[in-house]
Amino acid sequence: MEGWDPNTKSTLTQIPLLTTKAGPRDGAAWTTRLKEEYKALIAYTQMNKSNDNDWFRISAANPEGTRWTGKCWYVHNLLKYEFDLQFDIPVTYPSTAPELELPQLDGKTQKMYRGGKICLTVHFKPLWAKNCPRFGIAHALCLGLAPWLAAEVPVLVDSGMIKHKDDATSTSES
Amino acid sequence: MDAELLELARQFESAQQAKSSIRLSERNVVELVQKLHELHIIDFDLLHTVSGKEYITPEQLRHEMMLEIKKLGRVSLIDLADITGVDLYHVENQAQRVVSGDPSGLMLIQGEIISQSYWDNIAEEINERLQECSQISLAEIAANLNVGSEFVASMLEARLGTLVKGRLEGGQLYTPAYVTRVSAMVRGAARGVTVPINLSLLWGTLQQLLQAMDGAGGVATESSFFQSLFNGLAKEGEILGSLRAGVHWTPTVFAIAQRECVDSFFSQNSFISYDTLQKLGISQPVQFLQSRYAEGLPLVTAFAHPSMIEMLDAAVEDAIDRSSWIDSLSVLPTSFGSQDASKILSHCNSVQSALKGNKGMILGDSYVFSNGFIKEIVSELLEDGFLLLFMSTCIHPVNMDVYGRMEKELEVFRLSGSSGAIPSDDIHLVMEAKGRTDSGRSGEVNEKRKKKGKSSGARTEILPDDEEIIPLKSKKNQRKGKEASLVLSDTKKGSKKDSTRMQEDDLNIPSDDWIMQKILNLVPDFEEQGLEDPQTILGPLANYMRPMLISSLKEKRKTLFTENAGKMRHLLDNLQKKLDEAFLNMQLYEKALDLFEDDQSTCAVLHRHLLRTMAASIGDMLFHNLDMHNKMKNGINVEESPDSESITLGSAERTALAKSFPGSLSKKALAVVEALEGKRVEAFMTSLREVAEESGLLLKKLDKKLERTLLHSYRKDLTSQVSAETDPVALLPKVVSLLYIQVHNKALQAPGRAISVAVSRLKLFFFSKPSFTLVTAAVLELECHYVWCDSVLGFGGYAILPAPDLAYLDEDKLDESAFKILTEYQTATVTLLSLLSASTGDEEDCTSDRISSKRELLGDLMPALKGLVLGTTQS
Repeated sequence: MEGWDPNTKSTLTQIPLLTTKAGPRDGAAWTTRLKEEYKALIAYTQMNKSNDNDWFRISAANPEGTRWTGKCWYVHNLLKYEFDLQFDIPVTYPSTAPELELPQLDGKTQKMYRGGKICLTVHFKPLWAKNCPRFGIAHALCLGLAPWLAAEVPVLVDSGMIKHKDDATSTSES
Repeated sequence: MDAELLELARQFESAQQAKSSIRLSERNVVELVQKLHELHIIDFDLLHTVSGKEYITPEQLRHEMMLEIKKLGRVSLIDLADITGVDLYHVENQAQRVVSGDPSGLMLIQGEIISQSYWDNIAEEINERLQECSQISLAEIAANLNVGSEFVASMLEARLGTLVKGRLEGGQLYTPAYVTRVSAMVRGAARGVTVPINLSLLWGTLQQLLQAMDGAGGVATESSFFQSLFNGLAKEGEILGSLRAGVHWTPTVFAIAQRECVDSFFSQNSFISYDTLQKLGISQPVQFLQSRYAEGLPLVTAFAHPSMIEMLDAAVEDAIDRSSWIDSLSVLPTSFGSQDASKILSHCNSVQSALKGNKGMILGDSYVFSNGFIKEIVSELLEDGFLLLFMSTCIHPVNMDVYGRMEKELEVFRLSGSSGAIPSDDIHLVMEAKGRTDSGRSGEVNEKRKKKGKSSGARTEILPDDEEIIPLKSKKNQRKGKEASLVLSDTKKGSKKDSTRMQEDDLNIPSDDWIMQKILNLVPDFEEQGLEDPQTILGPLANYMRPMLISSLKEKRKTLFTENAGKMRHLLDNLQKKLDEAFLNMQLYEKALDLFEDDQSTCAVLHRHLLRTMAASIGDMLFHNLDMHNKMKNGINVEESPDSESITLGSAERTALAKSFPGSLSKKALAVVEALEGKRVEAFMTSLREVAEESGLLLKKLDKKLERTLLHSYRKDLTSQVSAETDPVALLPKVVSLLYIQVHNKALQAPGRAISVAVSRLKLFFFSKPSFTLVTAAVLELECHYVWCDSVLGFGGYAILPAPDLAYLDEDKLDESAFKILTEYQTATVTLLSLLSASTGDEEDCTSDRISSKRELLGDLMPALKGLVLGTTQS
């Protein structure tokens, strides 16, 4: 698992692993899979909170739990930059990782596919494939989005592509 | 939709909604705290933990410590530092504040904080154990608790009687039951003891008893426990007695008995010896007695009542008044030593006054002598001449004769002594005896008794006299075993001892022993008194008297010496005269021996004869006179015996005398004695000469003139003897001698055995010498006669004597016949003598006839023989 910074790695190992290999079309098995997804997400969220490292809010957008929407944010120079987050669970899930989308940043950076889907590092895919079906949504966020934000937001802010909105939501301390 | 799923979604939502905790980095926090300090928002001390990641306030620390203490009751500071994670230094600081600020009585001991409740718990535990075992040692507890035993003791003392039901005694805890049991034992033992005892001894036995009761598991009880129990009992009066030096217990019973015993003894005997007190257990008798009887007199071994002094005073006064002596020990109780006696005597008035007035003296501590008594003894000793005897024994250490004389004199003195001074002493003795038996009585009775004693003494006066006489009578005889002979045996033994001692003793001055013996003989009541060792008193007495005796002895000797001086001179003159005469004769005879030089055997016989007869008498005479002279020189009165000339001494006597001579004279005299025993006259002559020289006597040498005169007188003498002789046997040697003078002009002294040889020699002469020799001899003789007549002036008696007869000038014709007569006579004499010696003395024997016939024959021959020498008568 080289290529990841130590914080990420330690966090990742603490997220509970999943057991059920089922996609959205697998019916009851998917439900079991979804429960496990939730448990992992709860644990990850609590971990973040306790580490004072809370950085996203998501929730299932449909009852099946195949579409998820929410927000994610990053603090740079004591300013909080917040972006919308959305993604779908692919049919081949969990063999295929979900494609995380930040629609507000579509076209503002090269590390992004069309439609605002973020480009992941070369390391992500093999790691995911290796850990199928034990990795879930929480792992995808932790391994994919968090490093991307930490790498891209400062570049985007410095280049002036994104600006802190004056009427933005109240920023938390620090 | 699955409810569970919903629930999970809701949980996820809430989890996302939950406020995330705020985290600050350590660095920030430290800075923040510093900032707060700077701003004085935090205005109290903050402590940090050992790890450096925590701050803690002192209050919190104290609180935590208190919590720990409450939990366990006893925490060590090191443990607290570990538990709180704070440095030990802060913990110690805070611990002190905790302990000082705590009202419930926490204490900080040896790095540990201990609460009272902990002690309470411990005390309860101890109590439980104590009730089980009935005794625990503090050391054990302390070891278990890991604290000092003193601390445990102080802790327990506060809880004794409340939490701990027991008693703490000398490092041991006891239950009350145990204590009462042991105290009962102590009480029993202490009450049982009736004599003084060392308490530790008692405790030892009690300890053994306890151990026996408890079995092997019993713990050794400290003797201090017994002691404290004992002290308590003694204080309460449950046991009576007194304790000295903490360990010596004297029960009251004993003290009372002791006191009563001393009181009764002292009041009965009016004295008490320290030994008795010591036996009663009084270690310092003098102080004890002085405190009880202030008027008493402490002596060396005893304590006496003044009445004892009065009694002794009276006795001593009496003795001095009667110029006698007294042994104060005989008046005093037997347990008194001589030192006591001397001390008590020093308190007697009569003794003091006597000493001051020179009327008496104390000898040998306990004996009081009046001066009169001593003077009497001295004068008697001197008068009696014992000393003279003594001196004679000095001169002849082994002289039985003198000893015998002394014995005789001794008896004489006994007689005189017993009739003289001694009776008074005997009265005194009787009195003493009376006094001794009554010593315990009161003074009044004592006095009465004394008076009685005097009268009874007068009565018994005769009795001791008798006793005195008995030994005298039976002195030499074997003693008869009578009742009264007890004394006698003593004196006899004494005198025997005396005799042996006298023989051994050859000191030059009167020895103490000697004087003592004399005193004993003079005053036998020294022994009569039954003293075990009369030497004790006689020694000092003799010592005291010796100088007096010696001085008077010297005086006496001096006077005797002057007296003897004249006698000595006379003696020496006499001796010289006699010696001259005898010695000249001796020389004369010696010359005659020359004739027989060639005949060895005859010569020896002749030599011996001369030695036995002449030489011996000369030697004896010399010795005897020298001895007399010696004695006189020493101041001894010697009676000059008239028959001193005819003294004959045995060789042993001679040797003894010779040995008694002083110095070199003795050696030379011994040589004389030896020469007398020898065979050569010459040896005797030389030794005699030496002795004479040594003793200052002159020996004249024989010269021609003197010799002739002597020979002449000798011849005259012999001639007259021969003419007067009637005994045929005695005639022969004289005739032979006469013949020798006539023929050889030599004086021959020949014994019987040598006669025959002498005769045969004459024959030789008769035949060989021409007759003119005889003529010359006769002429010479004539000359001699005239010379002699001249020298003896006015002795008409000799002058009238017929002039020497010259008739034998023609005797040459008769030579043969004369010799024949001579030989005949000689053989006849020899036969007669042999017959005489062989005869049995029986009348009927035929030998007697033969003897008588021989006698007749000799009688017949006698005139012829006489004629032969006398010449004229026959022819």
